Amino acid sequence: MTVAAVETKDLVKVFERGRRTIWQRIRREPDKRDRFRAVDGIDLVVEPGEIFGLLGPNGAGKTTTMKMLATLLIPTSGTIRVLGIDPLTRPREVRARLGAMLSGERSLYWKLTGRENLEYFAALYHVPPGETKARIANVLAAVKLADRADDYVERYSTGMRQRLALARALLPNPPLVVLDEPTVGLDPQASRDLRDRVRELKAQGRTVLLTTHYMEEADQLCDRVAIIDHGRIVALDTPAALKRTIRAEEVVHLEIALDGDERPVIDRLARSATVARSERSNGTLAVTAHCASARDFVPAAFDAARSTGATIRHVEVVPVTLEDVFLAVTGRALRE
Amino acid sequence: MSLLAADIRAFFAAARKELRQQRRYPTLFLGLLFWPVLLPASWVLMGHAYSGNDPQALAAFAERAGSTNVAGFVFVGYAMYMWLSSLLWGSGTALRQEQVRGSLEAVFVTPASRLVPLFGPGVATLIPMAATFVVMGVALWVLFGVVPPLGAVLQAAVVVILGVPALYAIGTLFAATVLRFGEVAPIVQLIRGMFVLACGITFPVAMLPGWAQVWAWLMPPTYIVEDLRRVLLQGAGLAEVAPHVAIVLTIAMLTALLAIAVFRFLETSARRSGMLSRF
Repeated sequence: MTVAAVETKDLVKVFERGRRTIWQRIRREPDKRDRFRAVDGIDLVVEPGEIFGLLGPNGAGKTTTMKMLATLLIPTSGTIRVLGIDPLTRPREVRARLGAMLSGERSLYWKLTGRENLEYFAALYHVPPGETKARIANVLAAVKLADRADDYVERYSTGMRQRLALARALLPNPPLVVLDEPTVGLDPQASRDLRDRVRELKAQGRTVLLTTHYMEEADQLCDRVAIIDHGRIVALDTPAALKRTIRAEEVVHLEIALDGDERPVIDRLARSATVARSERSNGTLAVTAHCASARDFVPAAFDAARSTGATIRHVEVVPVTLEDVFLAVTGRALRE
Repeated sequence: MSLLAADIRAFFAAARKELRQQRRYPTLFLGLLFWPVLLPASWVLMGHAYSGNDPQALAAFAERAGSTNVAGFVFVGYAMYMWLSSLLWGSGTALRQEQVRGSLEAVFVTPASRLVPLFGPGVATLIPMAATFVVMGVALWVLFGVVPPLGAVLQAAVVVILGVPALYAIGTLFAATVLRFGEVAPIVQLIRGMFVLACGITFPVAMLPGWAQVWAWLMPPTYIVEDLRRVLLQGAGLAEVAPHVAIVLTIAMLTALLAIAVFRFLETSARRSGMLSRF
């Protein structure tokens, strides 16, 4: 039987919110801090060799989940197995098999060269001395940084630093790589470049677990995606299957100018499509509608607006994305 | 490669990494040339001004300090102060920098022992410290004509090497608390001040009230500085200071064990509370 790369059951992490002063502690005052469930019962199975994405907005619990897998946080309750090993009882064994890129460029030593950074971490990862040089050359080549290996990291671009952080994660030759927001802060070209590197990891037979709040990234890169919100998984499947769940072929964004109550126009629109989201700002109503065919819906939308005294100012028709799935299951946009 | 061998290699890699980073700021090393000379020299001159080099005054000093060599006494004390400062700050500062920079988590997801980031970076302070001792020795010779015999210098080096674990352990004890409290500089300042006051750094321990002398002899720096002065200025041999060295090594071992226990407890606590990534 194949062992899952990652398996969690009813994983919970509770943090205390607010502060308790030393004075309160000395006086033994009751602890009135809020308990906040950052991760609230996550069940997850990541199969070997897949790219699995945790997609969700900031604060959804993605990074907390990742840190528990990487032994940096102790769960409040629940169980975890990483490559079949319990990180609570055998953390060093998990760390030896795990390549982690968690805090990106900040986690590097900027006053050292790329190669010096890797030499240090090779020792921390217990890479045998005889293999260190070749291993470093391999990971540098894998992230296409071999020609800049002897430059100080402070002279690297953000994208190069992210790639170096990825190279560091590959030093132990890990079967499982966890990447926390690997492309955050990168320009489109650097993001594409890093995504290519991640695809290569899969081609090498490694399992990749990544977090992202970029829906395009999850869509393009991941074999399966878990959409996470408020510490819970609200949907989990392949990107294509997730998109099919909203039963729409197209998404229409409308901007409608109106003076009075927006309810009548929304009700009229809802007769021809699913109104996933509506938000009024000053005199403009922004509507996101999921429909089978924009060709049929858009004329109906103009009729609806006209009949309620409103004016459609802007229409945009886009294909269904994971953003729409998130909207459908949470009622909120990913960026909110 | 066994786990222990791999961790020892990681330990030296951590020290090497710190040294490499220090080397990238060469102006830091200018301080090594000036402060070890200027401050103790001014204290020596102040001492001469108070005593007027009067034999009676020097005899009174020798009665309390064990030597009439004021310059030697002050320079050895100040060397101890520099060494103490360096080791008290070294490990804690390195750990704190990792925390603020954001590299601590990257270190903690590796299989290396947690003791590597705790103990490793402190080694980097030993090389600049050795350079400081050389500078002070040369200054003592050039400015005040004090040249201890070579044999005494070599024996003093042994006392220094045997004293390293004790001061190192004290430094790591404070470093361990970085995980919980983040900024521990004020505590280190306070402790350093207490050592300076209580351990005979700038004046003989005999000048302290009786109760303070009891506390002074519970602190390793008191023994180390006393032994260095006896070896360098009074011609004592290693055999004569051996009981002190044994006490220092015992305190070192106990302090190191305490530092490890505190670090382990606080690391687990930080993994529960999420403090590892906060600062």
